[in-house]
Amino acid sequence: MPNIRKGKLFVCGFILMASFFTIGYRTVSLANINKYDEATKVIKNNDTSSYIKKNVARGDIFDRNKNLLATTIDISSLSINPQNILNKKETISKLKIIFPSINETILLKKINTTKNQINLIREITPKDHVDVLKAGIEGIVIEKKNKRVYPGNSLASHILGNTDIDGKGTAGIEKSFDNKLLNGQDVNLSIHAGVQHILKTVLSEQISKFEAEGGAGVIMNVNSGEIYALASFPDYNANNYRKSSDEQLFNRASKGTYELGSTLKLITAAIAYESKLIKETDLFDVSKPLKISSRIINDDHALKLAINIPEIIVHSSNIGSALIAEKIGPDIQLKFLKKLGLFDTIKLEIPEIGKPQIITDKKKISTMTISYGHGISITPVHLSAATASIINGGLKVSPTLIKNSLKNIKKKRIFSNNTSTEMKNIMRLVVSNRYGTGKKAEAPGYLVGGKTGTADKVKKSGGYFKNKNIVSFTGGFPINEPKFVITVMIDNPNGQKFSHRSTAGWIAAPVISKLVTRIAPILGINPQTDKTLAFTNQLLKYKIRGDEL
Amino acid sequence: MIRYPSFSFVFFIIFIAISLYQIKYFILKREVELAKINQDIMLTKSDINILRAELNYLKRPDRIEKLAIEKLNMRPILPIDIWNIEDLVSTQNIINNGELL
Repeated sequence: MPNIRKGKLFVCGFILMASFFTIGYRTVSLANINKYDEATKVIKNNDTSSYIKKNVARGDIFDRNKNLLATTIDISSLSINPQNILNKKETISKLKIIFPSINETILLKKINTTKNQINLIREITPKDHVDVLKAGIEGIVIEKKNKRVYPGNSLASHILGNTDIDGKGTAGIEKSFDNKLLNGQDVNLSIHAGVQHILKTVLSEQISKFEAEGGAGVIMNVNSGEIYALASFPDYNANNYRKSSDEQLFNRASKGTYELGSTLKLITAAIAYESKLIKETDLFDVSKPLKISSRIINDDHALKLAINIPEIIVHSSNIGSALIAEKIGPDIQLKFLKKLGLFDTIKLEIPEIGKPQIITDKKKISTMTISYGHGISITPVHLSAATASIINGGLKVSPTLIKNSLKNIKKKRIFSNNTSTEMKNIMRLVVSNRYGTGKKAEAPGYLVGGKTGTADKVKKSGGYFKNKNIVSFTGGFPINEPKFVITVMIDNPNGQKFSHRSTAGWIAAPVISKLVTRIAPILGINPQTDKTLAFTNQLLKYKIRGDEL
Repeated sequence: MIRYPSFSFVFFIIFIAISLYQIKYFILKREVELAKINQDIMLTKSDINILRAELNYLKRPDRIEKLAIEKLNMRPILPIDIWNIEDLVSTQNIINNGELL
């Protein structure tokens, strides 16, 4: 008997333990496990059309002031399952009322199929969506899809790039930051939407005015290297990327390499000062053309004088620049060009970057022509970075399109502070002096300094076009304490009656004047103060001579 | 022979089982509500995103510039429109000292 009792007790105990264990397990499982599955199953069963998959949306792209440049929105697309249609004619007539552009014959052909789904309209408006639901059309399937949109249309389109149909970055920032954006993280660009718009407007006006093939412009902070605006023409609407031509998609500012002519004389002069091989008082006879082997180097406006470095830059003398380069020699010249990054592709955060082409044979003629920008092809971004290094006190600048990305990076010194100061003075003279080639860059109230460049356009097959040129201007403002560098390039402008000639002084320099006047207030740069008057007064020490002597 | 404590245990288990059954459906109902709220949040976020894109489309610089020029007769700022605060103070001093009178 006691054994039976023990057995009963054991069975009861086991049942009780099993019950408690089951209840305990279920309590825990209800609390933690399959938290969403049950609920989502219920929602799916109740409402299949409006169910949205819980996925991470592609991150947004903003300008430096958090203005939205690229985002992803949900759109509805319309498909139809022909197998679920009982009355095809009625279905087509209902669809025709909502979407009048539908071709009834083609649609009838389409739905006479054994397929289970046919895509009808890729993108429908919220109103059409409601109308379709109200009409109660058989076999209709409305799917939610993602669409990348660019609210600024063509604003900064070359920087933003684009995504393919699957939402993968294919160009520009969209491609370079694809992983980050795919993980839902945002990208904050260094671009300033307002400044970008002004650059785009002013540059495109000038390109139209001179019936040019295209152009490019860069506005960059001289110390941080942050690019505030970068434009390339012809441009395109980022929302119509796939319909744009290769010519429109080509980024002339960062990928196109050009011989930018006399703007390179700034580098030659800076090297001359830095190498200490040439004194400011040294004179170079520019009265006769230079004959080097079979080539003749001459000036547009031949001066019957021996002139110094500031005069060579102000008059933009090819002969003077070539003579400086001859004295410096190819080794020093190429060493500095390399230091300035003109041998390498620029490390910009977009895939569309061009590699410079430089003749490095160290021949006398090559050294001489490189000194005034022939035989060296670089991108406008390269020229901006080099100009920034010349005027920011001599520190190397790495251009960037990302806000605050290079804040804590120590910069290498290329030129001394003295060289930089000297160059800023000379650049101001190019704009302010009566003989300066960049007088039309003057922006009343602001101190602008820079250098013009007019060069024959290089043929793709080699050699130069006789009647096509590239005009450019690179400079900084306010040149006494530079904050920004501006570089513009216009490709093959046609001289107009009012412009007399198609030179940079007539075509590129006025762009700088308009740009500075409009962007300076936005960028917090005040018009002239006592400091700037002091800067202007100290320029009187330079005696720039001209033709009348 | 089954005693009262054993009965109590059995009833206790039945009570807990029924309670758990009700809790399960209560939780499920709440989870459905939560999922629907999450879905509404997602849809609202999507609507906000569309509105944000539309707002940025409407306030794009080229449109604002056109409106400012055409409707408000505005023009770009010129250097003469910008004053230093110190200049304003000194002007005030001049007025106070009666030099302009």
